[in-house]
Amino acid sequence: MEEGYTSLPTSHLLGSVPAVIAEEKPSAGASQSLPANLQVFPPGNGGYIPPESPLGGEEQAANNWKGFCSLSSYTPYFNVDTDVVVDRIISSVYPMDEFSRKIDGSPDLYGPVWISATLVFMLAALGNYGTYLIQKRSEPNGDWEFDVSYVDWAACVVFGYAVAVPAAFYFLLQYFGLNANLVRLWCMWGYSLFVFIPASLFLVVPSEIFRWIIIILAGSASSWFVYLNLKVSTEGSDTRPLVVSALVLQFALALFIKIFFFS
Amino acid sequence: MSHSDTIPLHPSSQSDIDEIENLINADVHSVSVLPARPPSPPRVSIPISHSPSPLPPYQKVPPSASPPPVVPAVPAAAAAPAGSSRIGISSDAFGSPPDTLTEPVWDTVKRDLARIVSNLKLVVFPNPYREDPGRALRDWDLWGPFFFIVFLGLTLSWSASAKKSEVFAVAFAILAAGAIILTLNVLLLGGHIIFFQSLSLLGYCLFPLAIGALICMLEGNVIIKIVVVSITLAWSCWAAYPFMSAAVNPRRKALALYPVFLMYISVAFFIIAID
Repeated sequence: MEEGYTSLPTSHLLGSVPAVIAEEKPSAGASQSLPANLQVFPPGNGGYIPPESPLGGEEQAANNWKGFCSLSSYTPYFNVDTDVVVDRIISSVYPMDEFSRKIDGSPDLYGPVWISATLVFMLAALGNYGTYLIQKRSEPNGDWEFDVSYVDWAACVVFGYAVAVPAAFYFLLQYFGLNANLVRLWCMWGYSLFVFIPASLFLVVPSEIFRWIIIILAGSASSWFVYLNLKVSTEGSDTRPLVVSALVLQFALALFIKIFFFS
Repeated sequence: MSHSDTIPLHPSSQSDIDEIENLINADVHSVSVLPARPPSPPRVSIPISHSPSPLPPYQKVPPSASPPPVVPAVPAAAAAPAGSSRIGISSDAFGSPPDTLTEPVWDTVKRDLARIVSNLKLVVFPNPYREDPGRALRDWDLWGPFFFIVFLGLTLSWSASAKKSEVFAVAFAILAAGAIILTLNVLLLGGHIIFFQSLSLLGYCLFPLAIGALICMLEGNVIIKIVVVSITLAWSCWAAYPFMSAAVNPRRKALALYPVFLMYISVAFFIIAID
């Protein structure tokens, strides 16, 4: 029954944020089959290459970018299935460099967005739960209050980091003359945050030593993942300090998570 | 110019004054040529293959938050009165019947409330039309979701012992922005839904959580709160499941459903934790 919905005469309503309905018509046909058109994200140099076409398809850089407000401009970056996303998540936990090969042709933005959202929820919820446990241990009859500011801080820190740091590295890499694709950087950094989700589950345990061990492990895994993938992207020029600073930043994020939310 | 004994078929053939006169005369007759349950105006919604729902010649512009009676150009809505002081108007009339402007305010409110209740029954409670997304919320509106979001925010704010206004702000922001982002997520994954219909559905599915929040506000025991919130959370997820899963390619069903569950779980956690 579900298949019937993919061929409805409402394809002109695909991505119909109301103001841009007229523009969706040309892209509706392309979206129903796997897109064979390339989409060049405006500032980047790499083209978006769909999985089944050969890698040298750059001459077809027909720019399907319809502007920042048209939903169909972003659809190629969400063209993933469940198993693809799960596969990428698993390969992000083990700090091996298969990940860059997996996202070579088709970086996605679904993973980064929802991993960050999940992480925000986890940090706010489990951070509060951690303070609840600590307070119940020290004074069993005391009053515990839910601290709403954890939600604000978690959202600002996680989303800010996931958006700003890859963008900053993109501009730095461009400055050094290396080709970099902004969407790939966002994708990679977003998936690198996944390790912190199970780590935050373990951080609830109200023991300082245990918490420090967990966060050091998670921080190292995540930083190593970022380091490996960034090294692949920069292909060993003299950007060693840049790559090392990425590693340090990731570790600093891990420390901040521990100190702010779970102490 | 009294037309008390003839009721015209097309109001467009009359002048406005005549129509108002007819209204007054119809009061005298108290003629009701309409069914007891006002027929829902067909609106822009998902067309489904087996139940033909022809788009009316007068397509309704999706209202963001304004109630339909303010838009006089919707004849179909005018054909659904709640009171008896109305004349039956054919639903494909191209004229603009002034009934929704001249009717009593209580009629307007009653009609909107009736629509909220009927949408609630279709979406949240078991009924034979749940599996049919095109039918389920053909008559979507945004008043219901608005009431439920504000009610949930207020309940959480009352339950909180400190930073009440920040609690309301966070709850409202998560629910409102969350509904929009979830809809965009489905659209980006290549799904077929109507933007406002999806917002409406996600808002109506908050109804069980709103009830849960109300019970938790009145009840203090943590165990009972956890049980109540778990039941209402399961109910909310069950209500939202058919609509969301039918909207996307089956290989991406989990990708579309996971954010919905994430939002409801975070609201449920919020309800439990606020005391």
